[in-house]
Amino acid sequence: MAFVFSCAAASLGGCAPNVHSSTVRGTGYVRVDDVVKHHPLYPQLSQLDDAIAAINLQYAGPQVPLGARQIASQTAELNRELRAAQVRANKILAQKQRDYAQREAQAVHAALAAAGIHGQGALAAQQMSSQSAQQAQQAAQAANSDFMAYQQGIVAQDNAASSSIVRQLQTQAEQKYRAKAEQLQQNETDLSLRLTQQDAASRLAIKMRLSNLAMDPAARKQAQTQLASINEKEAAQLSAQRQADAATLRAYRAQLDSQTAGAIRAQVGAIQTQTRAKLEEHRNEVSSQLRSLAPAAAPPNLSPDVQAQIARIHHQFVGQFQADAGKTIQEYNATKADLDRQFMALHGADVGATGAAAKELGSLQKRRTDLYQQIVVQVQRDAARLAKDRGFSIVFVNVQAAAGGYDLTNQVIKDVESQHE
Amino acid sequence: MGVHTNQMNVRSAIIFVVALLFGVWIAPGAIAADLNDVGYVDQADLANLPVFVNANRALAGYKSQYDAQFSNQMRRARNDAQKQQLAMQFQQLFNDKQREIVGPLFQRAQLAIAAVSASRNVSIVVDKRIVIYGGQDITKDVEAVFSSQQAIAQPAATPPPAEIGYVDQTVLDTVPKVQTANNTMNQFETTQRQIYAAKLAQSRSPSDKQQILQEYNKLVSDKQDQLLKPLVDQTKAATADIARKKGLIVVIDRADVIYGGTDITADVQNAVGK
Repeated sequence: MAFVFSCAAASLGGCAPNVHSSTVRGTGYVRVDDVVKHHPLYPQLSQLDDAIAAINLQYAGPQVPLGARQIASQTAELNRELRAAQVRANKILAQKQRDYAQREAQAVHAALAAAGIHGQGALAAQQMSSQSAQQAQQAAQAANSDFMAYQQGIVAQDNAASSSIVRQLQTQAEQKYRAKAEQLQQNETDLSLRLTQQDAASRLAIKMRLSNLAMDPAARKQAQTQLASINEKEAAQLSAQRQADAATLRAYRAQLDSQTAGAIRAQVGAIQTQTRAKLEEHRNEVSSQLRSLAPAAAPPNLSPDVQAQIARIHHQFVGQFQADAGKTIQEYNATKADLDRQFMALHGADVGATGAAAKELGSLQKRRTDLYQQIVVQVQRDAARLAKDRGFSIVFVNVQAAAGGYDLTNQVIKDVESQHE
Repeated sequence: MGVHTNQMNVRSAIIFVVALLFGVWIAPGAIAADLNDVGYVDQADLANLPVFVNANRALAGYKSQYDAQFSNQMRRARNDAQKQQLAMQFQQLFNDKQREIVGPLFQRAQLAIAAVSASRNVSIVVDKRIVIYGGQDITKDVEAVFSSQQAIAQPAATPPPAEIGYVDQTVLDTVPKVQTANNTMNQFETTQRQIYAAKLAQSRSPSDKQQILQEYNKLVSDKQDQLLKPLVDQTKAATADIARKKGLIVVIDRADVIYGGTDITADVQNAVGK
């Protein structure tokens, strides 16, 4: 009977909620973030959070400027990557140009055949078309390699100037730091001397007393304590001064680093802006020269219709090539933009995570999102099952506050934990 | 006799339990109708309708165009003030474009949600993400009304009073003491991040790095507990108190409410601001 009664009582509110009471009204809620902390995969989620935080923290503050040698070596590596990207992009572009020229020649051939032009006429027209494509291709290749050489030259000048500025600014900062350190050291020496002079009379008097062999032990002990006290007082003052000076030096170092990084950023930024402007100007010149390359004139023996058709085919393939080449150029520009960011970071600019670190950060964030989603889906599934079993009408997640309803969080936590014990 | 007595006892117990259950069942105020006027919409599903996809694509096109112009002009900006002005100018440009392209679609979606809510006797419509069980899924009905060729009339009446309340967190963040606490926290984080970034840069071994990171996390977390937690607790308590007085069951964030609901932001703002 006791068992029956206890179960009945429990069913009224002890073990399970009365989900239809006036305060609950079939409404439940779950604090998902709290449940997630009890999920067996939570330690993995925490590890990912820590790894993300570490990368973010690493790239948070202004970077400590690198040494000139490190900058030179890393710049050389970035230049190699940039050159490789240029060569790759140019190869792809050249291949595309050949493909489109070939397809254009085939289309011209088909158009001529359809117009009933065969033999010498067709050959001449095709040669003209193919010659025009070849000329354009050669011109583009020459322009590209000229531009590449120009870019490399300009970038090399930029890097040399940047490195020189970095070296100069770092040397200046180092000199300032050394001067400050020497000044503080001199102050400490002066203080030590002052203290010694200040206590010289007392110290001498005590030593004189101590040299008296007939001194009684109590008086000797007292004199020794006095001497020790003077020594301690001096040592404490000196130590306080040293600590203060060390803190001053640390702050000065941070200030110098920040000023140096700022100055490097400003001066290198100005150089890079000039470089970009020069490259842009040269690129515009080359582009306008290439644009002026019109298709070769068709042989005069062709009818105006066929000539117009060949011109249409040429324009069509040029358009298609430009669109296709645009994609390759976009890819190259994306690579170059990333390398540019790395150049900036290398020269002291505060640009956040770049290159490999940015990739790692992106990958970690994706893994974190996926794992969190996986956990939340399971938590929600368990909560929904519990809600159904208990007869709830609706269950919310992450409410701001509750005046009624039933908090299912603890039950969901138990449920999640029990499934993985 | 013993058996009989036991049988009697069991019977008495059952009668007692039934009476108890019945007593609870009919006790005035103890039992009320469950909440069944809550609807939800899967906004991600709605966003996949072709008109929204096209609108978003067009908007993305404008965005990349503005981004390119923005980067160009930023390069030429002479100082921070100019940069800030440019950022604001481009943000405004984008907002205007967004209003122009997506605004009419949102308006129609709102009308469709209101019309479906009225026909389904729903007093509040929330985002699907916050409902994990129960409620009325009105997504398909809303999509059907939205996609129909006909004009959607404004609903004749405002939604009935809902027993689900909401607060606008962005408004609560403007309460002076909340703002001050947030600013102080941000400032603290910025300073500490720089200090610990420098420490991290100078550390050699992975275990040193790990220790620095743990120190940093603890420092930030302790500061949060000291600065923000009391305010969060106070806001939660005030929200629950106001909800109780207004007869609301739970209170959710404004960002999750699509239609209807009882707004108690001003009350909470006053209570927290005292």
